Amino acid sequence: MSEKEGSKQNDCLECRKKKDARWREDFPVSWESDNYVTRREMVKFLALGSLTIAGANAVVAGLPHIVKASQMPRTRIALASSIPVGGSKLFAYPSEDDPCILVRQTNGDLVAYSQVCTHLSCAVVHNEQENALFCPCHHGYFSVAEGRPFAGPPTRPLPRIRLEQQGNEIFAVGVEVA
Amino acid sequence: MSTRQSQGTTLFTALLVLVGIGVVVQLWLLAASVDALMRHQGGTAVRAAVASAVVFVINGLLVLYVINFDRKVEQGRN
Repeated sequence: MSEKEGSKQNDCLECRKKKDARWREDFPVSWESDNYVTRREMVKFLALGSLTIAGANAVVAGLPHIVKASQMPRTRIALASSIPVGGSKLFAYPSEDDPCILVRQTNGDLVAYSQVCTHLSCAVVHNEQENALFCPCHHGYFSVAEGRPFAGPPTRPLPRIRLEQQGNEIFAVGVEVA
Repeated sequence: MSTRQSQGTTLFTALLVLVGIGVVVQLWLLAASVDALMRHQGGTAVRAAVASAVVFVINGLLVLYVINFDRKVEQGRN
């Protein structure tokens, strides 16, 4: 490379530096420092994330209280006379996607529970011989009187459906979660 | 690096890890409370929210501790 060519290249480099200097005045942050995240920034970001998640958790916990129990629909589910002692009937409450089971106990009382097993959400069925609600998936058993688990893997009771009887008609009016 | 600075670096890394673990636990609690909500188990969601708030307070206290530590180091330099 001749001396002239070398000096031309140097000039161009200086030109570039000048141009860069102007550009840098407007945009002083380099790519390297823009991508660099300090531990302090990270810990502040995590603290803000922690606050956001705590807020989201509070909102999730408050949702059922916002949608009050009084807003639960009153749904006619069966005629009392149509369910014999030891018999059962399936229905959906509060929405069509929430399967439930209504059972007449041996003492004549009617009880209703969510049909969704509290173990892994299989549908429980009434087992008349054992006077229990039985989950066929993992052989979980719930008492008909209280909905509490007494055998198998489930540990939480079934949500109970509040019932009201008017004459011969039975209505579902709410859900009680233990 | 001075002893104080090296202490600060170790402390800061440890606190960063602790706060990170706290955030992961909070994410797990959020997932659990959404799951509980879908199963109409409001009590579980409330307990998860309380636990999440406690973890946030711990995280906040750790960050405050770091800020105070920084302030002391700055005062020591000046």
